Amino acid sequence: MVEEKRILYEHLDVPDINTFDVFRQYDGYKRFEKAIAEYQPDDIAKMVMDSGLKGRGGAGFSTGLKWSFVPRDIKPCYLCCNADESEPGTFSNRYVLEKNPHLLIEGILICCYAMGIETTYVYIRGEFTLGKKMLDAAIKEAYEKGYLGKDVCGTGLNIDIYTHPGAGAYICGEETGLIESLEGKRGQPRNKPPFPAVEGVFSKPTVVQNVETLCNLPFIVGNGVEWYTQMGPTYGDTRFDPPKPDPNTGTKLYCISGDVNEPGVYELELGLTCSELIEVAGGLRGEEVKAVIPGGSSAPILTHYELDTRLDFTSLTLAKSMLGSGGIIVMNETRNIVDCLLNIMKFYAHESCGQCTPCRWGTPWVRDIVQRIADGGGRPDTITRPKFGVTESGRWGDTGETEEIYEDLDLLESVANNIANVDTMTWNTICVFGIAVSWPAVSYMRKFRPEFEAAIREGKLVTLPVAEATVPPEENYAYQQRFIPKELESE
Amino acid sequence: MSDELIQIETPFAFNEENQREFDELIERYPIKEAAMLPTLHLAQRQAGYITPAVMKYVAEQLDVTVMKVKDVVTFYPMFFEEPVGEYVIRVCHTLPCALRDCKVVLEHLKAKLDTDIASETNLAKGTTADGKFTLMKVECLASCDVAPVIMINDDLYKNLTPEKVDEILETLTG
Repeated sequence: MVEEKRILYEHLDVPDINTFDVFRQYDGYKRFEKAIAEYQPDDIAKMVMDSGLKGRGGAGFSTGLKWSFVPRDIKPCYLCCNADESEPGTFSNRYVLEKNPHLLIEGILICCYAMGIETTYVYIRGEFTLGKKMLDAAIKEAYEKGYLGKDVCGTGLNIDIYTHPGAGAYICGEETGLIESLEGKRGQPRNKPPFPAVEGVFSKPTVVQNVETLCNLPFIVGNGVEWYTQMGPTYGDTRFDPPKPDPNTGTKLYCISGDVNEPGVYELELGLTCSELIEVAGGLRGEEVKAVIPGGSSAPILTHYELDTRLDFTSLTLAKSMLGSGGIIVMNETRNIVDCLLNIMKFYAHESCGQCTPCRWGTPWVRDIVQRIADGGGRPDTITRPKFGVTESGRWGDTGETEEIYEDLDLLESVANNIANVDTMTWNTICVFGIAVSWPAVSYMRKFRPEFEAAIREGKLVTLPVAEATVPPEENYAYQQRFIPKELESE
Repeated sequence: MSDELIQIETPFAFNEENQREFDELIERYPIKEAAMLPTLHLAQRQAGYITPAVMKYVAEQLDVTVMKVKDVVTFYPMFFEEPVGEYVIRVCHTLPCALRDCKVVLEHLKAKLDTDIASETNLAKGTTADGKFTLMKVECLASCDVAPVIMINDDLYKNLTPEKVDEILETLTG
């Protein structure tokens, strides 16, 4: 059985770790002191690049690379810490804020030192009243002890941290939506480019990082890059010769919920399989796994055929899903996938910001189609359409064959694909919210099509046994991998 | 337009404590407008909900038009434009809570409070006759490990069952 590897969460349950004195006993702020004493800002940026740290917020973008885009000659530059944790199934940041806020402050300090940043805004979701209270108290303490404010620790650096409450909009977790919201407007995402690294909040270069990403920094600085890169697998992208290294280093705060016996946050090295994680979380509640959502509700679903998929950024991308924010939702054999999709589509229809037409109108439309099917009103007419799939050339396209499909299922796929096309990975919206809607809609429908068909045929929700409900992976594009990963020998 | 159509409400202004907090807030941002969300939170805490007078006052304080404040208020679900009960009960009904039977909790609350569920455009529908509670459904509250959860004002209640809901309501109604 895989053992938990607590690093970020190591001292989480120590009583009063939220106070400066106790935090200090557990190496608190010593990593920051080490950073300013032993390294130049550029050394820290290089360490983060070498560590292979990937952003933990959802996109999994290399943190070091993001930092390298920030122009060093334009000041002021801002840091926005994204604590707007709203993805269904994710709840790891809440515990950091509520129990160990000084760790986040230390991470912010290291980032500020590396990037020459003086002002940080921590965007906390409005519902996290306790988290905000704890962080505010910790910030106050840090000011008193001289770790924030003017001339931090006698180095001449000026660093300020402010908390900024959100007000319940999911879309403000998207980085440009967050920036708009921080500027006091509706949280409607911006077109990219310009990327926030060049032109972000108040039209100045801005680094936007998730809470968990920032909390990794003290440990990278404190224990060194070599220690950090030993955790988690590094793959080679075989499309390049020699294979291009693709690191998935470090630990991840996996949030597991749904049908497991002990739901909660488990900090584990990246790269364990889905079934291993379920075992760590006390095993399945029920007889059989029907489906697993691997990265918050936006991620395409995994079936029981895919339980040996490794839960890291690269492996899940290859499995046509994503690790996202690490919110894993497990469903057992009693669950109806149409019902689950309906729940998720209600969420997206409610949370669409209304800026782009395909999303504003498409999300309620998709919800209505699923609602109709769930209510037993799915249209029983079928249509014959060209069968798309993997062609002889190995690419996605028209196979020359035809298939019979229920009109409503064709419509569902068509509307979802017009918000964002999951096969070509292009979206008709400004932000990736579009793809976050289509991904679940299309993947649930393709992978659990028998259950959708049964609901239309029978005129009511029918929960099929797992084996019957799932489309097997053979020749199904919903499962197809883009290239085969090869684990690099650790040197 | 006759004067009767334009409802003149009691004007709004921050009390001393909130004024102090607001003065601190405004210092944090290079542009005043950026303090919009924290200011609206502050104003809502004092006034109970965002009235036109509150919007006018906030607009004056931040040097923006009233329309801009209205624009923001209508976007965020946490700002209310209608009166709400003393206790706002937010019931999470997103997938992880749904898998743990949040429906039972919601139905129980509905029956117990004898009220409907508020919609964003009609908060009165979910407010009890005595004005003590407002019941609403919200999206994920980021506590899926202790599902089902509800939030009453600023407090989160975890692992709920109908019996626990009864206990909580009892302590609130005293």
